[in-house]
Amino acid sequence: MRVVVAEDTMLTREGIVRLLGEAKVEVVAEVEDAEALMRQVRLERPDVAVVDIRMPPTHTDEGLLAAQQIRRELPGVGVLLLSHYVEPSYALRLLEERPEKVGYLLKERVFDIAILIDALRRITDGESVVDPTIVFRLLGRKRRDDPVDGLTPREREVLALVAEGLSNAAIAARLFVTARTVEAHVKQVFLKLRLDANPESHRRVLAVLAYLGAGP
Amino acid sequence: MKAAAFAGVGRAGVLRLVACLLALAAGITTVLLVPNSAKPPTTYGSASGLAWAADVLAGASLLAAGLALTIVRRRAWIGIVAVLAGAVWFAPDWVGWEEAAPLLRSAAMVVGPFLAPLLLHLVLAAPTGRLDSRAARALVATLYVVAAVVSIGEALLRDPFLDRYCWSNCTDNVFLVRPDQEVVRWLQTGYLLAVVAGAMAVGALVVWRLANTGRGVRQVVLLAGLGVAASVAFSAGALLLDRAENPSVTSFAALFFARAAATTALASALGWAAYVAWRTRSAVARLTVDLAEAPAPGSLRASLAASLGDPDVEVAYPLNGSRRFIDGAGEAVAQPTGGQGRVVTPIVRDGREIALVGHSRGDLAAEELAREIGAGARLAVENERLQAEVLAQLHDLQGSRARIVEAGDTARRRLERDLHDGAQQRLLALTYDLRLARTAAQSEGDEGLALTLEGTVDEAHTALEELRELAHGIYPTILGEAGLGPALRGLADRAAIPVELIDHSAKRHSSPVETAVYILVDDAVAEAARRHATHALVRVRSDRSRLLVEVEDDGAVAGSVSQHVRDRVGALGGRVERVGGLFRSEIPCA
Repeated sequence: MRVVVAEDTMLTREGIVRLLGEAKVEVVAEVEDAEALMRQVRLERPDVAVVDIRMPPTHTDEGLLAAQQIRRELPGVGVLLLSHYVEPSYALRLLEERPEKVGYLLKERVFDIAILIDALRRITDGESVVDPTIVFRLLGRKRRDDPVDGLTPREREVLALVAEGLSNAAIAARLFVTARTVEAHVKQVFLKLRLDANPESHRRVLAVLAYLGAGP
Repeated sequence: MKAAAFAGVGRAGVLRLVACLLALAAGITTVLLVPNSAKPPTTYGSASGLAWAADVLAGASLLAAGLALTIVRRRAWIGIVAVLAGAVWFAPDWVGWEEAAPLLRSAAMVVGPFLAPLLLHLVLAAPTGRLDSRAARALVATLYVVAAVVSIGEALLRDPFLDRYCWSNCTDNVFLVRPDQEVVRWLQTGYLLAVVAGAMAVGALVVWRLANTGRGVRQVVLLAGLGVAASVAFSAGALLLDRAENPSVTSFAALFFARAAATTALASALGWAAYVAWRTRSAVARLTVDLAEAPAPGSLRASLAASLGDPDVEVAYPLNGSRRFIDGAGEAVAQPTGGQGRVVTPIVRDGREIALVGHSRGDLAAEELAREIGAGARLAVENERLQAEVLAQLHDLQGSRARIVEAGDTARRRLERDLHDGAQQRLLALTYDLRLARTAAQSEGDEGLALTLEGTVDEAHTALEELRELAHGIYPTILGEAGLGPALRGLADRAAIPVELIDHSAKRHSSPVETAVYILVDDAVAEAARRHATHALVRVRSDRSRLLVEVEDDGAVAGSVSQHVRDRVGALGGRVERVGGLFRSEIPCA
């Protein structure tokens, strides 16, 4: 796997690069700002670009804008956005245009090598990755007459994993059940939440996140 | 009031009244008695019917304008000058009236030389009646002295029988003491030279004034005055060249018509000026009454503009203890300046300038305005000035309040960024190192150390989480980057009770406005949760000039609004109110 890392803080960037090296992931370029990122991505065509959301010159959402541009320009390149912010709206902005091959993770998460590698692999496989903390925040949101309250504990678990972007097979592996069982759970959840989306599609992550973020 | 006015007029006023009546009587008698034809003509008026009409018209209009000016400008001498000029205008008609009593003809001859000084005085003093420079006063005084010398000289020394160029009165001089034709000749020449020089000087002064005046009555008066000065100068000049004056000769007749026309024009212009001054004064007087009765602060400028018929009137109040000026609404304005047809009139109360009024020069003499704004109105002006001062201080205060809040926000944003770029990154690096250490301990088979390090990583994660919440509490980054909508949705995600969000604000607003809305919604929702509300409804909508925020909840007890929310919204010139479970706020966002 070939990866470009865009991160302006040296400590974090070096940490990520070292971790990736140990996991035998090839880092083809390290950059510090969005402009250099776009240059390297166009040049190297990596499998995934690991991008900090906040970079020079304005230190606001350059990384998010660059991620969206990469997805529009080079559909073959996946993007993993790193952030300090637990803001579902950033994740939704990243996902809403092209939900496949993108991920939004909190920075502290990526130093767990297993999580980082898992995220990169899922992104290259065309899935979405949403940080569990974001999903937790959305699921924890108080609602009036909350249909989420009508779910069984197991269905809630499945809903959270769907929101994190996991496929049915991955969910099955995580919960030690068969893919068939997961499929039934997902159907049941979509029915209870009155979600219109096809429970099998790639875009179900977006549908679930939008549902959870939409309010009471 | 009436008694005081008469007392103010005093003896000078009575004297003036008597003089006016006498001059008027002289004028009317002339028109009624003096013949309008003679062969050969002994006056210009008797040369033809047209000449007679021009003669009477010029004299009568001078008398009429003089009377009008005497009424309108009671304290200025200009009315009496005009009336006297009108009376003296008719003097040649008496001189040339052969059937009249010799005493009358001689008396008319004596006053005759005063016509030129009177006319030139009138030109210089028009339209206000004031000779506003030392040069003008000296010039007029000199002309009167010359006229007096010539008049006395002619009375004592001129024997009409011996006058070679005699045409008008060749018989009578009852004052004659000793005929001396030679001296009379010299006196007459000197007189004519003085008149030519004086008229030219007056003409020059008038031209200079014309260049510095705007459009309006004043300009017309000055133009007519210039005509009078020119015709007087040419008439005297013509006599210097040819002493054989004769109304039948075309050049002399033409000069007479020019004199009569210019004089009539000047008299008409003065009459008009008197009318305009009267109208302005009654308007200002009405305004004065209005102001004294019911002064609506901030309305003085509009009232003055209407009264003076000058839409560009400026009213500026000096701000105490500074060189700044403010208008009635307390906004800073430039100090009114004169020039280009505009003048500035200070309004003084207790020896202190309380206002400057900038207005066009044309229709109103500056001192007239200051005079007419009486004591009662001055109180109203002072009242408006004080109100404007308070408003200006309020503007300053609002500005500084907003700046204080903004400075606070800037500091919070910087603090959030410092946390993000500093502490958060270091803590992140620490978790990285801890993980490495744990992996190393594991691979060396030190399970106890690995377990401890595992716990430390968790601790560091908790610290990171708390730091993140702290940074978010200091300043929610998403508010600045994505705006009110996403920030409020984030707020609803974290809230302790269900929060429904109806956001119609759509566009971005200034950072202080967005921050204020965020903080007040945050505060209202937290407060609703404290009062055990089961949910809150947040509505945000904006029109062109303001942002409306409503937070409604079903909490048990009536809610309150915290002081820092009031301060923040107040700093933006907005307001907050709470009616039971409904919290409303309006924030201007032009």
